[in-house]
Amino acid sequence: MGHGIVVQNLGKKFSTYASDRPRTIMQAALRGFRGLSAAHDFWALRNVSFEVQPGEILGVLGHNGAGKSTLLRLIGGIGRPDEGDIQLRGRIGALLDLGAGFHEDLTGRENLLVSALIGGLTREEALARQGEIIEFAELESFIDNPIRTYSTGMGMRLAFSIAIHTDPQLLLVDEHLSVGDIGFQAKCIARVKALRDQGCAIMLISQTPKQVREVCDRALLLKQGRVAAYSDPETVIGEYEAAMHPDQKPRLPQSARRGEPVLGAQIALTGIELQPQAPFYNGDPLTVELSYRCWKPVSSPIFSIRISHESGAVCLTTNSLTAGLQPSILPGVGRIQLQLERLDLNGGKYFISAGIHSAQWQSLLDYQDLPQPLVVEPTPVIEGLLHPPARWSWMEHSPGPEKQQPVVDVDPAPSPSLA
Amino acid sequence: MVSRQHSLATTLNQTLLSRHWVQRRDLLTGLVSRNIKLLYNRSVLGIAWMLINPLMQLMVYAFVFGVLLPNNAVPNFTSFIFSGLLVWTWFQSALTEATGAIVQNRALIRQPGFPVSILPVVNVATGLIHFVLSLPILLLFLWKDGVQLQWGLLLLPLLMLLQFAFTVSLAYVLAAINVTFRDTQHTLGVLLQMLFYFSAVFYQVPGQFAAIFNFNPIYLLIQGYRAILLPVDPAVPVADFNWLPLVGLSGITLAMLPLGHRIFQQQSERFVEEL
Repeated sequence: MGHGIVVQNLGKKFSTYASDRPRTIMQAALRGFRGLSAAHDFWALRNVSFEVQPGEILGVLGHNGAGKSTLLRLIGGIGRPDEGDIQLRGRIGALLDLGAGFHEDLTGRENLLVSALIGGLTREEALARQGEIIEFAELESFIDNPIRTYSTGMGMRLAFSIAIHTDPQLLLVDEHLSVGDIGFQAKCIARVKALRDQGCAIMLISQTPKQVREVCDRALLLKQGRVAAYSDPETVIGEYEAAMHPDQKPRLPQSARRGEPVLGAQIALTGIELQPQAPFYNGDPLTVELSYRCWKPVSSPIFSIRISHESGAVCLTTNSLTAGLQPSILPGVGRIQLQLERLDLNGGKYFISAGIHSAQWQSLLDYQDLPQPLVVEPTPVIEGLLHPPARWSWMEHSPGPEKQQPVVDVDPAPSPSLA
Repeated sequence: MVSRQHSLATTLNQTLLSRHWVQRRDLLTGLVSRNIKLLYNRSVLGIAWMLINPLMQLMVYAFVFGVLLPNNAVPNFTSFIFSGLLVWTWFQSALTEATGAIVQNRALIRQPGFPVSILPVVNVATGLIHFVLSLPILLLFLWKDGVQLQWGLLLLPLLMLLQFAFTVSLAYVLAAINVTFRDTQHTLGVLLQMLFYFSAVFYQVPGQFAAIFNFNPIYLLIQGYRAILLPVDPAVPVADFNWLPLVGLSGITLAMLPLGHRIFQQQSERFVEEL
């Protein structure tokens, strides 16, 4: 009973070959069949574990080359894992290579039938469903023309329509939910959700956090073939966006986060804490506390903290040097604090990151993003990042003696007791 | 209740199993008919092209060996050559196409759940369709040559099955080699050209060489077909025909088929992983 995808400890190794590896029988014979074995291996995926329940959509996020497509292909049975285990229960359908089996010279209908067979339907089922497929693809009047007369969009629509009409119990989608125009996209997403509601286990690769937020029940973030986060979409998107910062910095491995020594590391940030946590209102004071662990003495390190808006705009960058704080640190643990007396930020999401630099900014010793964003509670609509206490006054100008009229007060935020 | 559940599970299993095979069969026929459509779709003569090639070859050989060098002629010359040509054409075209089966179908191989090992079978089956559709022409030649068909004709499907399985097993291996060495298809062309001349398509093997020719599986197959179709040929009366080498070939094919299948699977997996 029940379908689903269970992946345990999955690892996939790729081999790279020397560039002068013989490609033909002739070359190989001339070189005495040498140089045919792999030059070296690398792990495209390692220690990947997760599961997708029936009726659940898992979103997979990650940069290019993080191993997303490799993961999806392995689950689709393309290639064999070198480590770990994939368990699939149910018939698999996939939107990996859309229009894979299409032939230019055959008509849409001929291609439809063959593709449905390739997708795992019997001839009878394919014939019974072709009307529905054509209708979904909105190709009623073109279906008997050769595919070569189709636009790219039409071909993709047909391919997509075939793939989701093959009754999969497990569905793999590789960034194809952006096929066709907006209307068709909405239809595709609705259809994928409908499949989910029928108990289909779905995995979806996406580059758009917005889509993952809207569609997925859970999300997985891959970084260089490892699982960097596996949780509810919001948390994972936070991690993903933090990593998307344009000046992405090298980071120490997770083990250093937990305070374990790492080869070559002097000092690591072990935590970033905010005071107060949620709810945070515009104008509240904020304390950012960094904890660190030091393994080797570091002379005059610089601690830096940056607050940036979810759009990527930097709101504040400050460092311990500005306060003339330049202690030398001996092995051990410690904490350092930045107190902001008030933070006049507009409502929205802000990301906080911290770094430790060596003296004179020579190198970055460690860097960390706070995974959860700082959410500043909504303020009355004002464009921009800042929302300081503001007061509009109208200086009336009239013929005659000047007089001041303190009239309109537009400070909506509870004014903190600063003065 | 328990037993009922059990029987329910068995029936479910059976239906799944049979659905599985129905699906495979439908996929095979679907791909074969697409192949044939693609070959003749845009030509005026359509499927007639399929016959033109062997008929032209037949004309050439009939002219060279029937008119220019008549002393080598064998009885029922037209039927003799045409039967050999049909068998050879099926073997050669299927093998050449199937050698590219992995390399030329990347998109299909990357389709989850697609049974990759069906691809060479599709090529050989396409050749089989051509072969079967040409048989009436052969019968026409046999009738013209005044050959009386015998009970041995019933063996024809068996021989076709053997040729089918043998070609598929060979195609598995060649398609797998083609993944590592992309010039296999060209190399194969040259080798097949040589093999053609050693397959006795348009001549009869002199007695002293027969033992050597027995190592050529295609020669064996062609001789088998002729033993069935041209039984009046005094050289090989059907009852006296030595079937032993063909039985041996069947044994070799049975052993080669699973082996080739495995190599093919491995190489197709390797192929899709190469980026």
